[in-house]
Amino acid sequence: MSHNSSAVQSHVAHHFVDSEQQFDAAKFGMWIFLVTEILFFGGLFAAYIIYRAWYPDLYTMASTQLDTTMGAINTGVLIFSSLTMALSIWAAQHNDKKKTGIFLLVTIACAFAFMVIKYFEYTHKFHLGIFPGEAYTFTGIDHPKAHIFFSIYYMMTGLHGIHVIIGIGLIFWLWMKNNKGSFNSAYYTPIEIVGLYWHLVDIIWIFLFPLLYLID
Amino acid sequence: MSSGHHALSFKVLISTAIALAVLTVITVAVRSIHIPSPFNIIVAISIAVVKAYLVVMYFMNLRNDSRFNLLSFVFSVLFLLILVGLTMLDTMFRVPIVPGF
Repeated sequence: MSHNSSAVQSHVAHHFVDSEQQFDAAKFGMWIFLVTEILFFGGLFAAYIIYRAWYPDLYTMASTQLDTTMGAINTGVLIFSSLTMALSIWAAQHNDKKKTGIFLLVTIACAFAFMVIKYFEYTHKFHLGIFPGEAYTFTGIDHPKAHIFFSIYYMMTGLHGIHVIIGIGLIFWLWMKNNKGSFNSAYYTPIEIVGLYWHLVDIIWIFLFPLLYLID
Repeated sequence: MSSGHHALSFKVLISTAIALAVLTVITVAVRSIHIPSPFNIIVAISIAVVKAYLVVMYFMNLRNDSRFNLLSFVFSVLFLLILVGLTMLDTMFRVPIVPGF
């Protein structure tokens, strides 16, 4: 299953046997990075789980301050963006430069929509005095550890948000490269690699949504 | 080693997205029937795990990918469980809860 037509071999670096080996090596490297990402977020998930086991009532009370509708919409937005990301690879596999570009742009648009909704959620909380840690001044939750829940909330959603912003940059870079005609059915490694990253960002949100918003 | 170059199927990708959307609706809707704790958490996490499985297998295409990549992913989850599990063996058996936390 190698793509040995000499016309498309220009992307193969000299230390690889062929395009296939280069592609597999790049993907394996990305998966190793994703493993570190899973354990990176894993530390925060561990903090969440331990604190919830200690103070189950706190989570029930504090979760009422999170807007389930906005969280659900954002879940849908990210799932849709994962679909368009995968479809951009599908289009590249079919040598369809125009569709690849469109799907990448739709993915970027979804990522921006996600961040805009997140912005409204954050500013609403800031307005109420719900800040992380010692800056917390909200009095609506009758629990001495309420500020800790929101520290965990801001750390988890904040780190996830940073990943979304980085994703926007990466996908924009893909879009620029695609415009130059860098991708075809024999070479679309960067889209594949960024796609893996983007799907992981989606998976993290798939867990954050029920863990933070759907507690009662 | 199996090849990473697998043509994606348009139909499979769309079906996956629809399944994910349906599961999202279910996980929100299931809240209104107020399942008693801890089963509500179990249901919510189970649905999230199924969704993550769909994303990993169909969007990230691990089902057709190199076994190395699958192994890396499985081990990351395993080590995450070790991290959480061993930490809880400490934190859950302290009386009282660590002062200051």
